[in-house]
Amino acid sequence: MLFPTIDFAIFFAVAFTVCWLLSPFPRYWKLAVLGFSYFFYAWWDPKFVLLLVAETLIAYVGGQLITNRAATLKARKLWMFGSIACLLGLLAYFKYAGFFTLNVDNLAHRMGMGNIVPLLQPTLPVAISFFTFMAMSYVIDIYRKQLVPARPIDVAVYLAFFPHLIAGPIVRGGELLPQIRQRRDPNHIDYARATQLIMMGLFKKVVISSYLATAIVDPVFASPKSFSAIDSAFAVWGYAFQIYCDFSGYTDIAIGLALLLGIRFPLNFDKPYSANTLQDFWRRWHITLSRWLRDYLYIPLGGNRGNNTEVARNIMITMILGGLWHGADWTFLIWGGLHGSGQVVGHIRRQRREDLGLPGVAKGTWRHWIQVFLTFQFVCLAWIFFRATSVANAMQMLGRLFSGWNTATTLITPLLIVTFIAVMVVQLVPSKVGDRATTWFSNQHLAVQSLCVAAGLLIITTLGPAGVAPFIYYRF
Amino acid sequence: MAGGIEEGVMSDAPVTMDESPTHPAMVRQSMGWKRILVLMVAGFAIWIVLDATTLQHNAQVSPVGARRTLSLQILNPIAATSRTLQISHIESIANGMLGRNGNVIGYGNVTVLGPTKKPAVKSNSSTTTTVPTAILPSATNPLRVLIVGDSIGIDLGDALQNQLASTGVVTATLDAKESTGLTRPDYFNWPAELQGDLAKVNPQVIVIMMGANDPQDFPGPPDIPFGTPQWNSLYEQKAVQLMTLATSSGAKVIWMSVPPMQDAGLNARVATVNTLQSEAAGQVKNVTYLDSASVIGNAQGLFTPFVTVDGKILNVREPDGTHVTPAGGAVLGSYAITTIQQKFKIPIP
Repeated sequence: MLFPTIDFAIFFAVAFTVCWLLSPFPRYWKLAVLGFSYFFYAWWDPKFVLLLVAETLIAYVGGQLITNRAATLKARKLWMFGSIACLLGLLAYFKYAGFFTLNVDNLAHRMGMGNIVPLLQPTLPVAISFFTFMAMSYVIDIYRKQLVPARPIDVAVYLAFFPHLIAGPIVRGGELLPQIRQRRDPNHIDYARATQLIMMGLFKKVVISSYLATAIVDPVFASPKSFSAIDSAFAVWGYAFQIYCDFSGYTDIAIGLALLLGIRFPLNFDKPYSANTLQDFWRRWHITLSRWLRDYLYIPLGGNRGNNTEVARNIMITMILGGLWHGADWTFLIWGGLHGSGQVVGHIRRQRREDLGLPGVAKGTWRHWIQVFLTFQFVCLAWIFFRATSVANAMQMLGRLFSGWNTATTLITPLLIVTFIAVMVVQLVPSKVGDRATTWFSNQHLAVQSLCVAAGLLIITTLGPAGVAPFIYYRF
Repeated sequence: MAGGIEEGVMSDAPVTMDESPTHPAMVRQSMGWKRILVLMVAGFAIWIVLDATTLQHNAQVSPVGARRTLSLQILNPIAATSRTLQISHIESIANGMLGRNGNVIGYGNVTVLGPTKKPAVKSNSSTTTTVPTAILPSATNPLRVLIVGDSIGIDLGDALQNQLASTGVVTATLDAKESTGLTRPDYFNWPAELQGDLAKVNPQVIVIMMGANDPQDFPGPPDIPFGTPQWNSLYEQKAVQLMTLATSSGAKVIWMSVPPMQDAGLNARVATVNTLQSEAAGQVKNVTYLDSASVIGNAQGLFTPFVTVDGKILNVREPDGTHVTPAGGAVLGSYAITTIQQKFKIPIP
């Protein structure tokens, strides 16, 4: 069930009503939320609800064993690693087995051997990467004694809560479990903020992301050799804006829906293309994933402790695995590798400047904007690999950027340029502008508010295409 | 070491929750859930009235069944009221400003690619154009290829376009739209769309791949259920009609069958469609029917995610068991190019 559909609107209206009616009865509220969440997930494929249940059981049992059945640190660690291995095993099978077996057998073919492992192509369950990472964080937080084990129903609601289920944000147990346990105030819901987020999210996804995909990104990436260098450059920039509008649009809607149910989520985006370094970019892009990678991978690997080589190793491992988290393909590995390499260079440069007594990042308005420009271009370069269907496809795109100057530009239109500028400008507008609009909305009469909502929906449906493609991050 | 873990290279800023602003001027009014429900329902209801004609159209073109019937029962009176009160005029004005005339024809994603800067469009009457007996494409006189189809047609078309572009002697036009076929001209009218393409592109070769969405009832009244003799007869008639139109300008046509499906039930339904398309192709001159299963199916012509080409194993099918991967599209594209070269005797590199 996609958010921007009538199906989901009806589903949410029912879920909203039932959940608030049951709000005075916590046990029934949790059962209702869980039921709606499993129904929401089953809309794609009912059998994969079992996978969600299995991961919930692994996380719950793992948490219990770590806390109650482990007398020593070694035993705690054992249970923790056992649980993580089970969770990663499921993820590995569904997400990486096909890629692994294909590459192993192709290597064997080159060496003159036949298939040495059976080829696999399991159906990829929607959102498996997201709920697996949340389940892992739950187990690890209990191991670290940052979280006490929750009741089974609480763990189930935590992992399956439908607003975040499909594409995040990757919420921590410490953030969501207390909210699941406590009673929500049915009379004080921040509906104006929720409405703003949902409308903005819908607009970003349905109007802007869809437009950029069909106007330039999809045709150019499908057949790079046929387009000019300028078309190719615009397609790369277009994809940067498309994926931002697509993913942040989803997140906005998710945060808004949760807010209507009385639950607050962490922010996941903070104007990422206004970043002036790659480190800054990762503070602003998919914040909950980069936080997860930092806390559960980078720091355990050693983080910034050690010499430059060790730090570089830690960064590269983290970013490459972060790349592979998105998908089982060489393109994602290269994408992560590029971001890792960029961060390593940035780290060394920053350290040298600090050794000379200079600020880590050069100050000054012009310098800042040059840094923002260069960071954006580097991020776009990496997006080529993220979007490409294969490494060969990415190389064709890169090739056209340098060789396609004799071909006429066919896809650049004034509307496209205006859209680019608008998306970029929004990155630079202070959030107070949106806050003011939301405050104004909240002070209006219900009838005016209803008209605003209807007008917003009409604008979105009129400007958007007839059908809506799934969110890009649904695949992950 | 300048920084510790807290000043790590990775994102080190604490994650903030989406909180209410604290500045007094920015403080928002909150609301109880019942009033929010009223707001949601009222906003939604007003939108439905404003957008009723589009919603009604969307319901009309959805698959025949209980859901469509129910949707139309709800939307028909609302749309009628909207028209009577001239409310639908708002939407018409907006669509007019966006250049949308409400006619589905022309909504396909048309992408023209070619080696020259000159557009391949010719305004000559396409019905009188004939293809020369010997076609010798070159960069200055490229072969004009039109590719049309549904979402699987896009899978083929994207790859084939890129392959043809690489030759430097072909202008390839892709006009494809997801969720389309021959069963629902009320949703997307392929004969009308193709008529427009013929006038615009004047193709010498047309590659068509569609049909995966076709195993559904023809809408009535009366509805003609899929799988009945009436359905088979009508479908074959529509396929012949499209093929006849495609060849009317002298173009040679490649009709690529729908690839085998992973789901056995869907595969059986698609097999019916393929059989009818194949029979139709046999009735129309200059149509070459290609069985996609022969290159991306297994030895029995059934679904397989992997095929071996030139000693390399390729993943040719998407995990959804329906669509074709870019690698699979390239295999199908090569099949089409080989046919153009060998059967049509058109020398393209």
